[in-house]
Amino acid sequence: MTEQPVDVESAGENVAGETPVKEPEAVTDDATVHDDDVELERTIGLVGGLAIGIGTMIGAGIFVFPGLAAFNAGPAATLSFAIGGLIALLVALPTSELATAMPRSGGGYYFISRGMGTAYGSIVGLGLWLGLMFASAFYLVGLGHYASAVFAELGVGLPFSPVIGVGLLFGAALTALSIGGTENTAKIQNAVVGILLVVLTGFLSYGVLDAVGVFGGGTVPEQFFSRGYFPVLTTAALVFTSYLGFAQVATVAGEIKQPGRNLPLAMVGSVLIVTVFYVVTIFVATSAFGADRLGQYGETAMVEVARDFLGLPGAVAILGAGLLATFSSANASILSASRAVYALSRDALLPRKASEVNLRYGTPHIALLVAGGPILVLVATGQVELLAEVASFLHLIMYGLMCVALIVLRRRNPDWYSPSYQVPGYPVVPAIGALASFGLIAFMQRESIGIGIVVMIVSYLWYRYYAGDVTLKGDI
Amino acid sequence: MTDRPSILVPIRVLEGESVPEGVPELLANAHVVLLGYHVIPEQTAPGQAQMQFEERAKNRLDEYETIFEEAGATVERRLVFTHDGQKTIDRMTTEHDCLAVLVPNATGPVEDVLVAVRGAVGIDRLARVVAGLFAETDASVTLYHVAEPDETDEDVGTLLDGMVNRLEGLDMDASRIETRVEREQAALDAIVDVADAFDVVVMGETDPSLATFVFGMPADQVADRFLGPVLVVQREPAPNEGEMEMDD
Repeated sequence: MTEQPVDVESAGENVAGETPVKEPEAVTDDATVHDDDVELERTIGLVGGLAIGIGTMIGAGIFVFPGLAAFNAGPAATLSFAIGGLIALLVALPTSELATAMPRSGGGYYFISRGMGTAYGSIVGLGLWLGLMFASAFYLVGLGHYASAVFAELGVGLPFSPVIGVGLLFGAALTALSIGGTENTAKIQNAVVGILLVVLTGFLSYGVLDAVGVFGGGTVPEQFFSRGYFPVLTTAALVFTSYLGFAQVATVAGEIKQPGRNLPLAMVGSVLIVTVFYVVTIFVATSAFGADRLGQYGETAMVEVARDFLGLPGAVAILGAGLLATFSSANASILSASRAVYALSRDALLPRKASEVNLRYGTPHIALLVAGGPILVLVATGQVELLAEVASFLHLIMYGLMCVALIVLRRRNPDWYSPSYQVPGYPVVPAIGALASFGLIAFMQRESIGIGIVVMIVSYLWYRYYAGDVTLKGDI
Repeated sequence: MTDRPSILVPIRVLEGESVPEGVPELLANAHVVLLGYHVIPEQTAPGQAQMQFEERAKNRLDEYETIFEEAGATVERRLVFTHDGQKTIDRMTTEHDCLAVLVPNATGPVEDVLVAVRGAVGIDRLARVVAGLFAETDASVTLYHVAEPDETDEDVGTLLDGMVNRLEGLDMDASRIETRVEREQAALDAIVDVADAFDVVVMGETDPSLATFVFGMPADQVADRFLGPVLVVQREPAPNEGEMEMDD
């Protein structure tokens, strides 16, 4: 397969006099080919792509949110997760089409900047980068909660809450680890995801059998919409952070083998798999305790659910899984954030220096530091819900615009736009995807929306100041 | 004149690996596919390394290209940034239809060539590499076979005679070809032992098996222990390899 690359005369220069890097000449199953026979090898297969998607997503939805979501929406939190999954799917399908047409690093930022122009691109690109920071911070705070639950389990009484301290520690460690060039990170990620899926499948199978009364436990009788209908939607907005992972697959689109086949499968597949896990988890969790008690347990409610079913071994297993899951989510997000910095500096929207590769370790130390540093500041706030919502907000803007970009591209139908996967139900699916993405924002807390809008405005002003002359739009 | 065999020469271009002494002369009659590659860790996008190192890598490759051309080879080149060097080498071998991959080690003027003949499979490609590179030189070629216990002298004779005939058919002077048979020793050790007396080793790639999975491909093991260059003749590409390729 050789596909025509984006026909774009990326032009102009930024304040520092840097111009966007030239587009490649061809995109094949195995490499991105630049002129003069310079190639970038594609090395991530379908399993690797799925592991990135699932590994990023499974941490939050299962291990941090059940208590919070049940507290807000009652047993209907199950529906909230299903809504989130549906919206994610509605966006993942158009994203797949865009990704097969433009399998380049940068994901949503790349599609939008080439489809709709530099201004939209920079808002989304800088937003994606910051959104990933918020998401990483959220995962790290979740990790902190799990770590402090471990202390509690061990009977170690601490005079202070270790949540933020542990989050900061792991945030710093992950950044250092990434800069130091840990070998085989992808293999470790694959293994972690595999272990998680096995542990969860076992646990949830038991839980479902218990909930339907096979082991005599039975469901705690409770009204499904015990908190009313509206909280179902606000909860969907809150927990949407659980579904950001498929976009992370797109940020490494330039490294995926056979992108025409593997990108759609990895993105849609990971959304479907985690949606099933989330919905079953919430069902099991609310069946075990009822929403009120579950809500009291907060971020580590799943540990109590496991203890209720399987005693101490269950609690320990879920604690371990929770640590692994939040760790792998944070790790994947930090790495994606540095890919976003690369994509932006390649296009001269950030200084070229920002994606410089460290000679000793071969890692992008500056990109990792500018991702890792602010993450620590965000972790220090300890605001789980706010961090999650801002991350969701920034991603939802990108998701909505991706759907719009797809419609724009399909209508103009430029020569270079020949996706090997086409979204079913065009134009209805992308249109609903866009409306649902923007619509979900309306159900967020006002603070989250405010912070998100400030980030967008700052991103736009940065573009006007730093790279006002740069044009990236594809020939349409 | 025989066809120039295409030989892949992989060089880790940014890690100080360069074209070793004697290699350009060794490949003077070859079509060299010069692969400069740079392996980067997984947390770095290949494009990032490209942005930073492309210029430097290209300058190096320019130099190497000139060295090979001055020695008489025809040269084609690629520069690849990758997470997985072996995948890149395999892909280049297939895409450029290379008969052999060179494990580049330094050598003096090539006078004695050791050709490890394993069996009848792939013997045609082996002959094309040997004849292509050495038919027009003065180097003497030793065909070396390590016999299995149940292999009769007759079988071995047929195998080696067949190889000699092929080489003659490819314009190789039979007086420069010797044959040698070894018994009672493991093939790998035998090759490494005898290789010391030679300037270059030509051998086939074996099918991957559990042992090669654990200990590495025999060709790699020979290359590790033999100080000179090793030409690893590649298997015939399976006609439907592209479709058969499994994920991960």
